[in-house]
Amino acid sequence: MAPPRGEVLQGTLDLIVLQTLHTMGPLHGYGIAQRVQQVSEDLLKLNQGTLYPALLRLEQRGWIATKWGASENNRKAKFYSLTRAGRKQLLAETRSWERMTALMTRLLSGTEGA
Amino acid sequence: MEWLRIFGARLRGLFRKRQLDGELDAELHAHLELLTEENIRRGMSPADARYAARREFGGVEQMKELHRDQRSIPFFGALLQDLRFASRMLAKKPGFTFVAVLTLALGIGATTAVFSVVDRALFRSLPYPNEDRLVSFGLLAPIERDEFILGSGYVDFRKEPGPFEAVTSTAPGTSDCDITEPNAIRLNCALVEQTFLPTLGVQPMVGRNFTPDEDRPNAPRVALLTYSLWKTRFAGDPGILGKTISLDGNATRIVGVLPSIFEMPTLAAADILIPLALDEDQQRRSEPGRVLRTFARLRPGINVPMAVAGLQPFFERAVLDAPPEFRKEIHLSIQALRDRQVRDARLASWLLLGSVFAVFLIACTNVANLLLARVTGRQRELAVRAALGASRGRLVRQALTESLLLSLLGGVLGCAMAQVLLRLFMSIAPQGIVRLHEARLDLRVIVFTLAVALISAVFSGLVPALYRPAPELLIGKDVRATTRNVLRQALVSAQIAISLMLLAGAGLLLRSLLNLQNVRTGMRTENVLTEAISLGGYRYPTPEQQIAFFSELQGRLKRLPGVTSLALSDSLPPSGQMRSTIFAAIEVPGRPLLKEGTGGMVGWRAVTPDYFSALSIPIIRGRGFRQEDRLPTENTIILNETLARELYADAEPIGQQLRLFRMQGPWRTVVGVAADVKNSGLTVNADPEFYLPWKNDPVESLSTAHIIVRTGTDPKAMAAWMRAEIVALDQTLPFTIETMSQRVGKLAQRPRFTAVLLSLFAGIGVLLAGIGIYGVVGFLVAQQTREIGIRISLGATSRNVLTMVLLNMVRWTVAGAAFGLLGSWLSSRFLESLLFEVRAHDPFLLASALFVLLAVAFFAAWIPARRAMRVDPMIALRYE
Repeated sequence: MAPPRGEVLQGTLDLIVLQTLHTMGPLHGYGIAQRVQQVSEDLLKLNQGTLYPALLRLEQRGWIATKWGASENNRKAKFYSLTRAGRKQLLAETRSWERMTALMTRLLSGTEGA
Repeated sequence: MEWLRIFGARLRGLFRKRQLDGELDAELHAHLELLTEENIRRGMSPADARYAARREFGGVEQMKELHRDQRSIPFFGALLQDLRFASRMLAKKPGFTFVAVLTLALGIGATTAVFSVVDRALFRSLPYPNEDRLVSFGLLAPIERDEFILGSGYVDFRKEPGPFEAVTSTAPGTSDCDITEPNAIRLNCALVEQTFLPTLGVQPMVGRNFTPDEDRPNAPRVALLTYSLWKTRFAGDPGILGKTISLDGNATRIVGVLPSIFEMPTLAAADILIPLALDEDQQRRSEPGRVLRTFARLRPGINVPMAVAGLQPFFERAVLDAPPEFRKEIHLSIQALRDRQVRDARLASWLLLGSVFAVFLIACTNVANLLLARVTGRQRELAVRAALGASRGRLVRQALTESLLLSLLGGVLGCAMAQVLLRLFMSIAPQGIVRLHEARLDLRVIVFTLAVALISAVFSGLVPALYRPAPELLIGKDVRATTRNVLRQALVSAQIAISLMLLAGAGLLLRSLLNLQNVRTGMRTENVLTEAISLGGYRYPTPEQQIAFFSELQGRLKRLPGVTSLALSDSLPPSGQMRSTIFAAIEVPGRPLLKEGTGGMVGWRAVTPDYFSALSIPIIRGRGFRQEDRLPTENTIILNETLARELYADAEPIGQQLRLFRMQGPWRTVVGVAADVKNSGLTVNADPEFYLPWKNDPVESLSTAHIIVRTGTDPKAMAAWMRAEIVALDQTLPFTIETMSQRVGKLAQRPRFTAVLLSLFAGIGVLLAGIGIYGVVGFLVAQQTREIGIRISLGATSRNVLTMVLLNMVRWTVAGAAFGLLGSWLSSRFLESLLFEVRAHDPFLLASALFVLLAVAFFAAWIPARRAMRVDPMIALRYE
């Protein structure tokens, strides 16, 4: 009985943001929020504001870099992009995520079989 | 390393707060704009679109808060905030800040200065590794106040040192020696065994220690230089090792240089170490042998009592070796090296440290009181803060930040004050306490100051910080916080109690100092100059040369204008260090010899005939010495009153015969009895003493002399002339010229140091307590203005008002004074050994201290109380 719109798991938001920046290239906060919602097809309920502390956390860890630029409507906006360390982190986190899901899948299917 | 990176980022965030806030605002603004535009595109009205955007975004302010917390370090952020707030508050009330910082600086400064002095004596480790295992051990006898061992016993003991890991010995004191080439200087040579440095755990800085072979009689001469001698005399010559110097005319090879921190365990000034070269066989044969100072390193795990037990067999043998008269009067002693160095300065050190800490407490109490008064003035503000959600901890933290800031300011100012005080201490008494001259504000002391400042911050800030604002304050109700008033008055009582104890202690010490300075020394010291000369064995090797020098010098000095009398003596009262013999060794016809025991020590000195007139020592019976008494054929003696009484009781001493020094000398005729003179310090009663004439006889010649000049002219000018005469005779000769008053004054130096310091602290304490009382009474009066106004309008006279205000204070003062009296009564017992001719529980002194304190308290309370008397009821009732 999964809820229709999942809460963002602590920690997964970081991975989502990194992955988004990886596929889309440099983006501003609004763009990231839009992209996340688009991909999740609104399954993921995201208070867009919560994105910003996450972005700060990633920046402090040196995984993303920031740069001021102009947005589509020619406004001043802060663009976030993946750093090399960020790419490495993304790879590592993707792997551990895959391991985790594989484990969960196996576990859950095993339960069904019993 | 990641945490470091994050910490760095956060630290940067801490100091770029404003810029980052602006950037975040801009970013969020852009985000919301884009969201709104998107919503408009979807067909919403602009107002709806903006509203929807806000909803989608979530709480903007909460997010900002979250962002800020994460961006910086919340603890530091709050600290910076508190510091900013605290400094604003302090800057707004410069009067309060000034008084508080000054009070703290006084307390912290005095504490720091005293700590820097006593630290060397009490706490700081001596410059030897594992110094806690180093001891001085040996025998104590009436003739010697330091431990010693006789060579005959020691040469065998050192092979089996029992409880000790290592033992070593030195010759007592240092001896004069001269480097004679190229230009002569007088040095202090210390004669030490080759085990000396290893026992202390000291390594030469360069070169090596003496070898066992070099520490034998007739071995080639070698020496170790101290660092300062190497630097000053040899300009730090790196090639000094192996060089040969001429020491007392003997070629001596330098084998090493000692490290700069080296000091003799006796703290004696030494420039050069040379091997003791103990001749074992000779020591064994010539019982009792040489007097040696002995030091040892305890085996690990052995303490002093265990060592005493372990040394008992050795001691029993040593007693048998001692001359029979001494056997009952010697005992064994082992003491830690530090105790030997500090001696009786320990009590004075603790006393000063304790009393300065009391002053510090009073200062903190005052600041606590000041802060309490401020909290009372700010209670409404605090209530608002609490209502707006400031947690209790947050409020406490803010209050503590303020007192911390005050204390740090006080600490910085206190360091400067400590420097000034330290100078003052040294000028009061250069010999005030052991190692005083070494005291300075180094890192260790600064760290101590910092710790003291922290203590003061907590102590003075905690009481006000724990104040919890009453919620009623928010509706404008005036809440009278009685508990705090009680607390403030209790603090004042504590101040009074502590001040009273300080005052009583200072009174005792001052009284004792006064007694000490008025001690009748038995001579007149005004206009008397003394000059100590010691002739080196190199330039004056024969007795004839020494005699020639002294007669030449006497002749020259006698011709100086203004010399009324001139005398020579081998020692001078009252600083001890005179030659002595035992009472049992004086033979009087008809008096049976003492069966056992020494009968105590009898001091004696050789003097020229004018000695008694130069020092104005009255001859009570008979006559003084004459020139003919100096002839080798004459055998005369002068006794002092005490010795005359002990030898002859009431019989007439003049003309009696006696023999000295265990009957080896000639029979001597008593020709006079001189009045008693203080010989060994000011506090000890006159000892038995006799005088022999200073003879121009090579057999009895002396290389050391004190020249005593009584003058009718200015002693300073006379000192300059005397100096010139000696230099004219021999310019290489070291000598010291002092007035007799200076010499006597030196003896009271340490008591003076303690007394002056304690008085200073008592003065500061009383002053601070006065300020504290003034502050509290003034505050209470201000708080009660309305009540006083009502009372006056209802017909109270100004006298009633005064009584009301003062009565309240009197209660707390009396309580404090009672505790203070009790405290002084209990604590003055510890002072007893520092006192001279004054009882520790002197009721007059205690009453005077009480009177002074009560007068100060009354005066401090009276000023604000008078203000209460003049309250205008009209103004008071309209107040607020």
